Amino acid sequence: MTMTPTRRQFLRASAAVAAWAGAPAFVRDARAAGEFRIGMFYAIAGPAAGLFGPTQKACAELAVDEINAKGGILGRKIVLSFANGDGPVAEASKAAVRMMLEEKVDFFLGSHNSAVREALVGTIKAKVPYVYTPIYEGGECGANTYVLADTPQQQMETALPWLAKKTGFKRVYMIGNDYVWPQVTNKQAKRIIEAGGGTVIGEEYVPLGAPNKFEEAVTRIKGAKPDLVLITLVGADNVNFNRTFAGFGLDKETPRLSSLLEENTLLGIGAESSKGLYGCMSYYANIESPENTAFKAAYKAKYGDKAPILALIGVDCYSGVKFIQAVVTRAKGTQAAKVGEAARGLSFDTPTGRMTMNNRHVDKNMYLAECRATEFQVVETFKNVKSGQTCA
Amino acid sequence: MNVVYEVTTLVVIVLGLAIVFGFLGVMNLAHGEFIAIGAYTAYACQARGWPYLTAIPAACLVCGALALLVERVLIRPLYQRPFDTMLATWGLSLLLRKTVELVYGGGYKSLVVPLSGSVSVLGAPFPAYRVLLIVLSLAGTSVLVVWYRRSPTGARIKAMVGNPELAQAVGLRTGRLARNTFVVGTCLAGLAGVMVAPLTPVQPYMGLDYILKAFFVLVVGGLGSAVGLVSGAGLIGGVESAMSAIVDRTWGYSTVLLIAIVFLWLRPRGIFARV
Repeated sequence: MTMTPTRRQFLRASAAVAAWAGAPAFVRDARAAGEFRIGMFYAIAGPAAGLFGPTQKACAELAVDEINAKGGILGRKIVLSFANGDGPVAEASKAAVRMMLEEKVDFFLGSHNSAVREALVGTIKAKVPYVYTPIYEGGECGANTYVLADTPQQQMETALPWLAKKTGFKRVYMIGNDYVWPQVTNKQAKRIIEAGGGTVIGEEYVPLGAPNKFEEAVTRIKGAKPDLVLITLVGADNVNFNRTFAGFGLDKETPRLSSLLEENTLLGIGAESSKGLYGCMSYYANIESPENTAFKAAYKAKYGDKAPILALIGVDCYSGVKFIQAVVTRAKGTQAAKVGEAARGLSFDTPTGRMTMNNRHVDKNMYLAECRATEFQVVETFKNVKSGQTCA
Repeated sequence: MNVVYEVTTLVVIVLGLAIVFGFLGVMNLAHGEFIAIGAYTAYACQARGWPYLTAIPAACLVCGALALLVERVLIRPLYQRPFDTMLATWGLSLLLRKTVELVYGGGYKSLVVPLSGSVSVLGAPFPAYRVLLIVLSLAGTSVLVVWYRRSPTGARIKAMVGNPELAQAVGLRTGRLARNTFVVGTCLAGLAGVMVAPLTPVQPYMGLDYILKAFFVLVVGGLGSAVGLVSGAGLIGGVESAMSAIVDRTWGYSTVLLIAIVFLWLRPRGIFARV
């Protein structure tokens, strides 16, 4: 509590000194010796809060601890400020304004849905660099905005050809929630399926956030007899659909590929409903690599056995903090032009493996996993998969 | 078959709510949370390796005990004040949801379906557990309806609902009767939770999914009659399921909303109104 006036006085004094020196260099530079503040948006309260929130916070804080132990960013200790990214869009915007004006954050980090991202890009107006980390539909080229998310190209251009080789599928049925991410993912998937000589025999979308049931959909799928079902349902809908699918016995004959299938969702689907279910993302807790082993050991050392379950959404926040460290260190500051320049071709290490930023998205390793009961078994690793995005 | 399944599960879910609202005039907004608690009880039993049937008495016990407490502390002081009751139970629902989240975390839990395999119904295979659910729901509901019509307790409840003062004057202990009715209604919610738990993701917010549709059924069917309840569930569940099968889910929802609006507008007391 007593820190605040001290810091204010320090700022005021520093600004005065800077002004007196006639330099138009601002408070931000004057704070160079102070803390480095990251404004982080994650699921604090909302539909995804119980599922993802604890992991997101734990992972971000682990990354901050590790970096601070080695002297912070440019000699400044990192401090996290939190805001809710899982509530109304307007509230997120308000929080962003407050963080910029009052807390003077140096970088924004966001793990939330696309609606909130678009609002934040519009609110921040490139004044502060912003990194967006979870899984998304692609296409974000906002100024001073950087994306670590898995794109549909990264998921589909790896998983579909692999499954085509393995199962020889021709007829694909698509089911997803009705919003932008499933639609764009399916558009990419359709292109790849048709290029490979397959056809999409059914495509349906159910409302997002409604208590959906899938008896009718599964009956329809059963009648259509596809060779592969491509699922872009999220959360409880994904669980519900897959349980119904297996309940009707379709799991024995038809393989499924689910685009957003992480550890929590698989636990909900359960061991008896996960036969023939595949996923393709940049992180699974079961990845066997030196980076992930070290990450998991550090995570366990900090949080113990009761730690929130590790999954892509959560670990992305760890990677986000690592990216901020790498890009700010290289840019020697947070000015938009310098950060943009530094981000080009920047490589940094994450639990997923090494990521390289191009087109303000990242090329990264992708893992194709097959479900074995409630565990993911990685069956194929794709190295340095391009994001398929074209931001200047 | 999907239509039958949807309608019967809906009946079970609404049954408890209909009893509490229809007989006591208590709009229990926390009803969905009791369904969730029933489901979590089933999960807890299964996680301990107990047979699935033990979840039934366990859920009754847990929900019954909670209901006793809730009735004493929240509901009883607020009888005849429907709006206050709604606010109080809404608060209760938030409290219960967060408590569940605190105990079990926000993640999904999955239960092993106690009866796997499928049986042939009219030539088409249908998952066995769902068939069992349909049978149990039909049997349970009929037993309850017959009991209400024939038993002395049913008559007493009718007396209490019809004219509480007179019922009290002839020596009925309406306070105790109302308490028991509330407890039974809540236990039914718990049982509904046990029944649907193996088919849905068990998570703290699951109650919300059920409560809305349950209200629609009450709006359409009207209060306090078994026929109304079944026809309401039939109309809402049937239309939604049929529209989902013919067109898609979005149309299913829109039609249900439309029906609810039309009923609130033209027949606010439902198809089979008691009064």
